[in-house]
Amino acid sequence: MVDRPVEAVSTGENVAGEAPAEEPDAVTDEATVHDEDVELERTIGLTGGLAIGIGTMIGAGIFVFPGLAAENAGLAATLSFAIGGVIALLVALPTSELATSMPRSGGGYFFISRGMGTGFGAVVGLGLWLGLVFAAAFYLVGLGHYATAVLAEVGLSLSVNPVIAIGVVFGAGLTALSIGGTENTAKLQNGVVGILLVVLTGFLSYGVLDAAGVFGGGAVPETFFSQGYVPVLTTAALVFTSYLGFAQVATVAGEIKQPGRNLPLAMVGSVVVVTVFYVVTIFVATSAFGADQLGRFGETAMVEVAREFLGLPGAIAILCAGLLATFSSANASILSASRAVYALSRDALLPRRASEVNLRYGTPHVALLAAGGPILVLVATGEVELLAEVASFLHLVMYGLICVALIVVRRRDPDWYDPDFRTPAYPLVPAVGALASFGLIAFMQPASIVIGVAVMLVSYLWYRYYAGDVVLEGDI
Amino acid sequence: MTERPSIIVPVRVLEGESIPEGVPELLANAHVVLLGYHVVPDQTATGQAQMQFEERAIKRLDEYESIFEDAGASVERRLVFTHDGQKTIDRMITEYDALAVLVPNATRPPEDVLVAVRGAVGVDRLARVVVGLFADTDVSVTLYHVADEDETDEDVQTLLDGVVDRMRDLGLDRPGVETRIERDSGPLEAIVGAADEYDAVVMGETDPSLTTFVFGMPADQVAEQFLGPVLVVQREPSTADESE
Repeated sequence: MVDRPVEAVSTGENVAGEAPAEEPDAVTDEATVHDEDVELERTIGLTGGLAIGIGTMIGAGIFVFPGLAAENAGLAATLSFAIGGVIALLVALPTSELATSMPRSGGGYFFISRGMGTGFGAVVGLGLWLGLVFAAAFYLVGLGHYATAVLAEVGLSLSVNPVIAIGVVFGAGLTALSIGGTENTAKLQNGVVGILLVVLTGFLSYGVLDAAGVFGGGAVPETFFSQGYVPVLTTAALVFTSYLGFAQVATVAGEIKQPGRNLPLAMVGSVVVVTVFYVVTIFVATSAFGADQLGRFGETAMVEVAREFLGLPGAIAILCAGLLATFSSANASILSASRAVYALSRDALLPRRASEVNLRYGTPHVALLAAGGPILVLVATGEVELLAEVASFLHLVMYGLICVALIVVRRRDPDWYDPDFRTPAYPLVPAVGALASFGLIAFMQPASIVIGVAVMLVSYLWYRYYAGDVVLEGDI
Repeated sequence: MTERPSIIVPVRVLEGESIPEGVPELLANAHVVLLGYHVVPDQTATGQAQMQFEERAIKRLDEYESIFEDAGASVERRLVFTHDGQKTIDRMITEYDALAVLVPNATRPPEDVLVAVRGAVGVDRLARVVVGLFADTDVSVTLYHVADEDETDEDVQTLLDGVVDRMRDLGLDRPGVETRIERDSGPLEAIVGAADEYDAVVMGETDPSLTTFVFGMPADQVAEQFLGPVLVVQREPSTADESE
């Protein structure tokens, strides 16, 4: 077991007179050690880490985006997803390095606040919380679409479109469940991800064989860049929401066993797995219908693809899988958002009360409400693409800064910096990762950019007002 | 004085569990690893619970530590916030190379203990616990074995005599270690039934199997029905890496 001492003290106070919580003494493979023999056990293994990463991501890319992406970019949407995957990978490598050197909870926020200063940290940390709120709202709207499709399938037609209502109900339900539920949610998440991967592998294998002409169907020949080249990039920016999950592994880095080994494997592994699934999914979907028709099916296009291949049983299987996947993504995002609130409050950037644990259930009700409340408001807007892009925007800013933080930390090379995992091809990977992350933002809709910038500005002002005196460990 | 066996005493420190009566006397000759732990739901970061509950938990552990020290034990203590109590207990067993884990239940100051001997495997550790704890006391020790159908009385007597010899080698040099043999009964019910007449039970851990998976470890079941303290002697730490 490698015992790594943690040296450094965070100082300062926020407006309420709260100081950042004390830093631990050391980090080991199995626990985080504070003074007086107080330890925080690490309990999440590699499977659990992969389940968090894949579980957060797989809901969007496969079950919500294929129709929207194909409509925007045609068959080249496949390329959009591949671009997203490459950028995610370029960011996952530096994130892994930073995470193994600081295996503490809070993810990107933690690395940036320690590597680049409290100001950057505050903007990213608040952005991470709200980014996850936007992402969860997006998944819930997706869930609403799937639930509506289920209702339609059983022949129930409603006079009003129930998508938003269902999303809100599930959002409120999930928040309540997180606050009051004491059942083992982690095991449940592992199971859900396992089922999804099995269903999808079966379905996609059939689809690929069919597209290759094995079952006599054959692919619809189509121009690859039917919509031109620029939509490929704007679509990549839109669907990047499908790649937000790997950073969620880092938000629970403090709870991962053998972090030096498991963190890089879980983050890079989950990005690689979902990229393959996404690219194959889009390929299969577009070859079944052609991009135009797929676009007309909207959020639940995959159900029609499954119906085309396997008839009603296929459609039902994908409907159930879609419900499970969007549900698990929304759930994972709410939990991560609550962890982000905790990390901020630990460092006195949000009131200490925000991470309070209630005595009845032992759950952080304030932090969970801080995630669940705004989610309901956002779900009510029903703006799938806007929600997705703002979530992507806030994450991309964080991803770019993670890459920058890696370069900053490596150049300063402080004594405590001793990562178990080193990014290959340094400084090329983090440099390209940062440029690509910031670059992708330019291809978003103006509305998303405006909202994203506004969130960052408010975050910065909050920091200046509330916690301007707080200096976090590792500051320059 | 004989070697002090390390015994883990897990206490869910924030859920009102405390050190039951009789337990400090039972472990007076032990090296007690006082493990205060608090199980946190998955939704909660362990650090979150720590921020809020650390002070209170430390205060309780301070109390418990002095209770054990006053009884004569040497004490080390840990406080762990965890999502998985079993994993934490297992880690402590490995870290301290602990011989046994106590399932704490109340008892009177111990006068007699029942030592359940399952077979030849693990006898050495069983003997070390019994000798370390009770050699320098007046506690009377009864070895107990539930025989299989194909075991003859001679077989069992040989087994138990072997344990007696081993305990003598380790320093339990006194006459009157009793031996009892039970037949025609499931081991679990037999142990629970016999335990009634004693103040504490020492028994080995069972290999995990389908039945233990469904019904829980026999030691836990005994502890539940016996309502007195049970010392669960741990298996030899396997040489295989414990990594997942």
